[in-house]
Amino acid sequence: MIEFFQSSVTQTVLTALNKGFVVTLELFFVTLIGALPLGLVIAFGSMNRWAPLARLTRWVLFRRGQEPGRMARMLIAFRPISLVTRFLVWIVRGTPLILQIIALFYVPGLVLEGGNPWPRGEVGRMAAVCVAFIINYAFYFSEIYRGGIQGVPAGQSEAGLVLGMTKGQIFFKVTLLQMVKRIVPPMSNEIITLVKDTSLARAIALQEVIWAAESFMKGNQGISGLWWPLMFTAVYYLAFSAIVTMVLGRLEKKLDYFQV
Amino acid sequence: MKKMLSMALALAMCLSLAACGSGSQSGSSSAAGSSSASQSGGSQSAGSASSQGEQEDTIADVQAVKDQGTLYVGITNFAPLDYKEEGSDEWIGFDADMAKLFAESLGVAVEFQEITWDYKVQELESKTIDCVWNGMTLTDEVLAAMGTSEPYCTNYQTLVFPADKAADFEGLTSLEGLNIAVESGSAGEKAAQELGATTVPVQSQANTLMEVASGTSDAAVIDVLMAAEMTGEGTSYANLAYSLNLNDLRAEESEFYGVGFRKGSDLVDAFNQFWAEKVADGTVLEVATTYGLQDAVVLD
Repeated sequence: MIEFFQSSVTQTVLTALNKGFVVTLELFFVTLIGALPLGLVIAFGSMNRWAPLARLTRWVLFRRGQEPGRMARMLIAFRPISLVTRFLVWIVRGTPLILQIIALFYVPGLVLEGGNPWPRGEVGRMAAVCVAFIINYAFYFSEIYRGGIQGVPAGQSEAGLVLGMTKGQIFFKVTLLQMVKRIVPPMSNEIITLVKDTSLARAIALQEVIWAAESFMKGNQGISGLWWPLMFTAVYYLAFSAIVTMVLGRLEKKLDYFQV
Repeated sequence: MKKMLSMALALAMCLSLAACGSGSQSGSSSAAGSSSASQSGGSQSAGSASSQGEQEDTIADVQAVKDQGTLYVGITNFAPLDYKEEGSDEWIGFDADMAKLFAESLGVAVEFQEITWDYKVQELESKTIDCVWNGMTLTDEVLAAMGTSEPYCTNYQTLVFPADKAADFEGLTSLEGLNIAVESGSAGEKAAQELGATTVPVQSQANTLMEVASGTSDAAVIDVLMAAEMTGEGTSYANLAYSLNLNDLRAEESEFYGVGFRKGSDLVDAFNQFWAEKVADGTVLEVATTYGLQDAVVLD
């Protein structure tokens, strides 16, 4: 066993896997940093109640002294920002992430006049993959946020109003705080999925840990036909998701002090 | 209510008309551009349009590469053409070494970019790489989709099988009833299909060897260069062997390897000129011999 870990082949493989896993980790953290705030923005978009035609329609109805019909009710409920956002949610959640990565990396260079907008080399691939992951995960997060925000009972913000809090105070100190507590379990699910989804990045030849492992199957640095490196990547993923689970578990406990 | 509906309809019509207008405008201008290009710029006003037309015929890639200062070479890990030695981070191999010399002749640095082989045309077209230089067989599909160099290496498809079952495979004239692992989209896949095999398409040629070694496929069809490098004693597939020239078997000519560029790229001419020089001064043979390819390389 010790000999196995000391052999030069193992050393070479582990070095390559470590290098690959650093890429995996980079992608993981960049995605989280980008998608967590962007998801909130998207959640606001899909909850936006701006209805440009509502007032006009009500006024017309009032002038005519009519009860709202089917058409009028549709016009009152017409909320363009929310509609557009929900349409985008449908697009992003309804297509495979691997397809989004491939499209985002290759299509601009094929259709744009100025050619490929991504930087050349490995950096460009990383940038494209990060953008794809941030967009994809932000839309998933947005739905979790929306569920969390809408799940906070109306009585909570009403209580805030009674206490004379401003709208901003109510959102940040009452709603958002309780939302964070509610969304930790579903967010943990998504974040653990993200750990493993990073492997999709190899579709455009980003050299993450699975790519590094597969290279030893077909031949890399004089080593070929090894399949244990691919199986061994499970150790990396398991170890990392154990850490993530622990951190998220702690967060959940920390937020346990108030119960709603 | 009706008033509002009609207003909305009128607005929609305005918008669609405006879209039509701009659409037909761009259409007519591009038509004018192409027609004046075909006249090869007779009048002065057509001058700019004709130069646009010529740009479509040849892409000034040499200048673009010089401007960016680096030649991006799309490769996969494929010994003995592009590979890394144990413990080293440098790409070597027949193709890699020649690519370095080619970049040197252009006066630029070289960077090797590993790509997914299925996307080689998209990689070129979206300009994420400048050439595909990785033992690429010049198939009809490749010739149609890329600007390709003169052939620089010969190759044929061969059958790889477990050495202890050699008797079952040697001298075969058909692959009917066999499960044959092939690289998806490769020349080997075509050969196996034409010989009646049930194909198992996998991601790379090397993965086909894994299939045979683990017994999940009966045999594999891959490039002979790769078979020679990766099977037999002293390799990691010591218990695999290869034989049969599947190109002879199908009465097909040998295949040739070429370098792929964007369609219409002027790098093709630059490459052919570079290659002729390096053949003449013996560099090609020298580098080929280093990697055991002296028999395969094209020297005329």
